[in-house]
Amino acid sequence: MYKNKVYKKIKSLLGKRCLNDKLSKVQYSYDATQKMYSPDIVALVENTNEVSEILKIANKYKVPIVPRGWGSGFSGGALNIEGGICLSLEKMDKIVEFDKDNLMVWVEAGLVNYDLQEFLKPYGLFFPPDPSSWKFSTIGGNIAENAGGPRAVKYGVTKNWVNGLEIVLADGTVLNVGSKNIKDVAGYNITDLIIGSEGTLAVVTKALLRVHPISDDKKTIQIVFNGIRAAAEMVNNILNSKIIPTSIEFVDKDAIKTVDDALNVGFPKDAEAILIIEIDGGIYEVEENSKKIKRLCEKDKSIIAFRVAKNEKEADEIWIARRSISPTLKRIADGKLNEDIVVPRSKLPDMIEKTQEIAKKHNLYIVSFGHAGDGNIHTNIMYHTDNNKEIEAAKKAMDEIFSFCLKLGGSITGEHGVGITKQDYLEKQVGSDNIKLFKNIKKAFDPKNILNPHKMRL
Amino acid sequence: MNDKISESWDSCVKCGICRSVCPVFKEEKSEPFVARGHITLIQELIKGNLNFSDKLSKEYLGKCLLCTTCVESCPNNAHTDLAVITARTFVNKIHGVPLYKKIMAQVMSQRKVLDLSVRMGNMFSSFMFKTVENVPRKGVNVRMKNPIVEKDRLLLPISKRTFLNKYPESINGKNSKKVAVFIGCAVNYSYTEVGDALINILKTLNIEVIIPKNQVCCGGPIYYAGMIDKAEKLAKKNIELFEKIEADAILIPEPTCATAIKVEYPRIFEYFSNNKYLEKAKKLSERVRDPSDYFYNDTDLINILKNKKLKKEHSVTYHDSCHLNRSLGIKQEPRELLKAIENLNFIEMKDADRCCGNGGTFSVDFRETSLKIGKRKAQNIINSTADTVVTGCSGCMMQIAEALNIENSKISVKHTIEVIDKALRGEDL
Repeated sequence: MYKNKVYKKIKSLLGKRCLNDKLSKVQYSYDATQKMYSPDIVALVENTNEVSEILKIANKYKVPIVPRGWGSGFSGGALNIEGGICLSLEKMDKIVEFDKDNLMVWVEAGLVNYDLQEFLKPYGLFFPPDPSSWKFSTIGGNIAENAGGPRAVKYGVTKNWVNGLEIVLADGTVLNVGSKNIKDVAGYNITDLIIGSEGTLAVVTKALLRVHPISDDKKTIQIVFNGIRAAAEMVNNILNSKIIPTSIEFVDKDAIKTVDDALNVGFPKDAEAILIIEIDGGIYEVEENSKKIKRLCEKDKSIIAFRVAKNEKEADEIWIARRSISPTLKRIADGKLNEDIVVPRSKLPDMIEKTQEIAKKHNLYIVSFGHAGDGNIHTNIMYHTDNNKEIEAAKKAMDEIFSFCLKLGGSITGEHGVGITKQDYLEKQVGSDNIKLFKNIKKAFDPKNILNPHKMRL
Repeated sequence: MNDKISESWDSCVKCGICRSVCPVFKEEKSEPFVARGHITLIQELIKGNLNFSDKLSKEYLGKCLLCTTCVESCPNNAHTDLAVITARTFVNKIHGVPLYKKIMAQVMSQRKVLDLSVRMGNMFSSFMFKTVENVPRKGVNVRMKNPIVEKDRLLLPISKRTFLNKYPESINGKNSKKVAVFIGCAVNYSYTEVGDALINILKTLNIEVIIPKNQVCCGGPIYYAGMIDKAEKLAKKNIELFEKIEADAILIPEPTCATAIKVEYPRIFEYFSNNKYLEKAKKLSERVRDPSDYFYNDTDLINILKNKKLKKEHSVTYHDSCHLNRSLGIKQEPRELLKAIENLNFIEMKDADRCCGNGGTFSVDFRETSLKIGKRKAQNIINSTADTVVTGCSGCMMQIAEALNIENSKISVKHTIEVIDKALRGEDL
């Protein structure tokens, strides 16, 4: 192996920021999947040039190299499953250029989503993609996974807000793709190809993002239902009434209970589902739409509570309950299969009911919550890691959920990415011809397969 | 060590939320300096996948302020503080304890030795230290170059007479209430004026006060450095002393000492030692109070303050000490008391509950990082436009005074209790 040689070369480049001791390696061996794979070398890079030099070395010696942001991913995208170099971009977190006139900003890939929001706020602007992990996930990670968030209903996902990238190819070539032009059709759209490629095609070092003015007004509405189907149907009712909310979030009974236990929110006891709706726009428009939603709800007998947040603090209270679900699930069981399936919005009631049926059949807790407005549901199949029967049942349940989701024309992942956790299901969804094309594209970018190998079946 | 202790951090799901709040991570920006990394190290050590023979373990596990901001923000309530303290005991076993910490533990363990050291310090004071005035708060600099403390560092002053020497063991009061005072080393030896203020307020309220002469150091700094057996000895002494003392409450104007006694003593006996003392520790814990909490909730002080004025009008901002705010849960009480003073204009600063970066021996071991964190705090204080910053902790006072001094600010640093006392007397701050 060339390990030693590679280490020496990177060490001479980065000095103290190149680590290969056991303590450091173990701390760069995990992400939010809680799986552990130790890298051989941790490289804490500070600029694009260093990234390029390291890629040249990795390419020459054919060493796997895995780009990493804040390690908060749910699909294992940042794990060095075959060892090699952990290329950590967390120190590259600067705002490079703020172009107010064009409503664009060039940022380094390691910048945290929320820190960008904080920077933009005084200018009355925001960056619409808002994954629940926005305080602890980077723009680079958001791009690699094409992350979405609650606001996707109205504002779309990461790919809708990236106009260009600075990327480093496997051989160390640094190049810019895309431009500040709103219209630009010269050549292949490499930007969009890189977005969502999970670090398998190139390393994203900088991104040119579009930003958007913050609306004059917004309102957060919480609707509690005594039936799950009614909640899912309300989503379609609202959208059919010519209202496009910023977000429509959905929380099921078990998620409600978990959060209530953890945070003492005081949800109604007979709550079966909650919708959290946020609308934004001009002051008049928001008022009008909130009244419209209220009228729709008055007709619905399955609604047991309706609340419009009076101020930002109340809105935060409503949102914190939603944002805290994922991390509090450990209260139910210590193991979970965390899926983020997505179905065409109209199929949402079918998917949710089927999930509950599957849970009952296997005698498991399956907690569902997520982005009802875009059909994306976080399905958490809970199991105890010391109970082999439950583990088996959980896997079976997952298979059944995936199969039904695909039958409805859905996808196995809406925003977490494929990584290692969903790669076994990828072919089932996209088919073998697509996989063949993926492999050819990968080969064109990275002939030696050093960039995040063995992810997405590549 | 009790196996149960790992349950207190094993709830961590590696989500990474702690990265968004940790003040040390904000400066270091790498995983070894955040809760998730600390917890992983102790978990892997316990599993036997790792040992701490690498010298880096000293830095990785030493460089934590124990500010518990991560614990507060953790949706799964993972106790990184316990993970770090436990890990430090393992680091100490392999690498030993730095000499200055050994001496610290030795000196703090006996009141007489501590008294003598401070007296010697006082005697040679002009030779060893240079008094620095006209700064946010009076302090001293060390005159000679030494390996532990930098020459330009603003340190605690040394009082001519200690608090425990100054006051009798009991002070009568006509009120039916009775409190004991545990003063803490910083106020006893350095910021004695804070102790004076506390006694003055208690006298105004006519509350009977007991000041046990035999109280020893709480052991907090020793415990936090992972020398738990030494801290345990001090804990036992204080437990035995105070269990005999009848008082409604034990007031501690030093949140670090209060946390040590209220929160850490029960943990010592639950997790690190035989639990013969656990019940006693819990009983003592119940009586420990921060003065601002006691005055606000158990006395009429707030109504008295409403008719009181400082000699001059002041705008004041408040810094939350980590131990007072997060460990003891006291956040509103000091604010309400301060706001009650008629001509005191209270201004809330940005990120008031962010750690100031002191962290006890953290500021000695990692001064550069400590000052970077302090600079952010100083900036928020300056931006608040207040002329005085108030806090309830000596460690914070010292750190903030230095951080403000570095920024050439003249904003003065006061303890909550001092401000209240001045208002009661109608004096200037």
